[in-house]
Amino acid sequence: MFYDLNVPYHAGDAQLPRTLAFLSELGYNVVALNHTIVGKLPAQITCAIPCPLPYKDLPPGLQIHRRVTLTLTESYQNARLTELARAYDVLAVRPIDERTLQLACSSLDCDIISVDLTQRLPYYFKFKMLSEAVKSGKRLEICYGQGLMSDSSARRNLISNATQLIRASRGRGLMISSEAKAAVGCRGAWDAINLATIWGLSQERGFEAMSKEPRSVIVTAQLKRTSYRGVIDVVYGGEKPERKPVEQAKVNGKAKEKQAVHNGQKRKAQDDAEAGAEVSEIPLSKREQKRRAKKARTDGEGLQGG
Amino acid sequence: MVRIKHRYLLVNILYPDPQTSNVRLTAKSGEEVFYTMQFRQPSSEKMDGKILFRMIKDGVAELFGDYGAGKIAGSLQVKYFSQATSTAIVRVSRDHYRLVWSALAFATQLPQPLSQPCVIQVVRVSGTIRKAEEEAIRRARISIRRAQRASKPARTIVGTDGFSKTTDGFRRVQEGEDLNDSMLGGIEDTDGPSVAGEESDGILLS
Repeated sequence: MFYDLNVPYHAGDAQLPRTLAFLSELGYNVVALNHTIVGKLPAQITCAIPCPLPYKDLPPGLQIHRRVTLTLTESYQNARLTELARAYDVLAVRPIDERTLQLACSSLDCDIISVDLTQRLPYYFKFKMLSEAVKSGKRLEICYGQGLMSDSSARRNLISNATQLIRASRGRGLMISSEAKAAVGCRGAWDAINLATIWGLSQERGFEAMSKEPRSVIVTAQLKRTSYRGVIDVVYGGEKPERKPVEQAKVNGKAKEKQAVHNGQKRKAQDDAEAGAEVSEIPLSKREQKRRAKKARTDGEGLQGG
Repeated sequence: MVRIKHRYLLVNILYPDPQTSNVRLTAKSGEEVFYTMQFRQPSSEKMDGKILFRMIKDGVAELFGDYGAGKIAGSLQVKYFSQATSTAIVRVSRDHYRLVWSALAFATQLPQPLSQPCVIQVVRVSGTIRKAEEEAIRRARISIRRAQRASKPARTIVGTDGFSKTTDGFRRVQEGEDLNDSMLGGIEDTDGPSVAGEESDGILLS
């Protein structure tokens, strides 16, 4: 299972199904569409991503989640963060300076911390700060898409910052995602892991950053939203699947009687018996033959009697 | 005398851009051709191993400078290139295969005369060319089956050479295998125990 938890979403984006199909083709199983909010939160917080997406040719077997990225500025409203989190599946924050990064790592209740790595950052990442975030279940995101598609200075900054981030976090709690605006910016999961390996992450950690860490983000985010105090959740309540009504092709007395006999038996036995009755080439056991003979006799008597 | 060890990278070139297509893909009236067939389309006739070689060399020189270019210069070789499946096998010395791999990952389009947007995916890293070949055959087979499954109603593929066939004739290939799983698989085929992706390897072998 490979995850890409950052696919930018714009309303009315005609290229989105293509991007999703391409991600599916590259071997990803779970993606998250990302809606970015810069500046003030709207008064009425609703999810900008419609729940069944209005595209008809989405790839089957691709799980799609909804994510929101809030750019942290000076005047943000902490109280409304939970409200925002409730509207989406995953909540990410984008700190713009050291102070907001500190805030995101320590006190904010978010799932992902996504720093814009394509810009030159005027501060260093500190292990103490990042480990605090990782300990509380937040994940740090490395987006490679911008570095691939834009100019060489963005690429240089991405390499520099990603190396710094890997060094400061000691490889723990990282996740890799694409943030690709078009399908051309996406790369295969193993290609991205190789890039991370070049940047100083070990290959096992890189594999985890593509699979285990984003999964934990999805699971904990879901747990936060649906469960009781983020601790306990009903996964399966013991509901029985809806039983299909038994087919009644023949309505004559014989068929009914046959059914009455079979209802007491296990389903496999019933299937076997029916298959045996219809397909003669399956060899019958001695026991079965005797049973059949007896049944035929009793049936005959029953008919004569009736 | 110690043998020089190599890595063979099995490389797939994917074309996600709809505007620059090498072949005319047609479907039945008004329908879109399925994405999997669009992405895995044949390369243009001008594309060959030499261009790929140049692309890798320039890419490594751009990313790693003269140091990287010098490191791979002795061992880099494009062993195989197929236009029909857009597949290539690239040989490089074992110590520096990651340089080549990242140059491939950073490539966004084919070099100048073609300049077609592409995504290059390394699907297998192997110690012997034989394993890379086997993997290439397996993947080609899977992608054919996948395309067939995607196009349940019969569709016609018309290539540039007027070559045309319905996909229905090939439906006899056994289905039922979970293609998604087998397309992933472990990528590494190292000398020692395989690194990550061990469990998915187990799935695809079974």
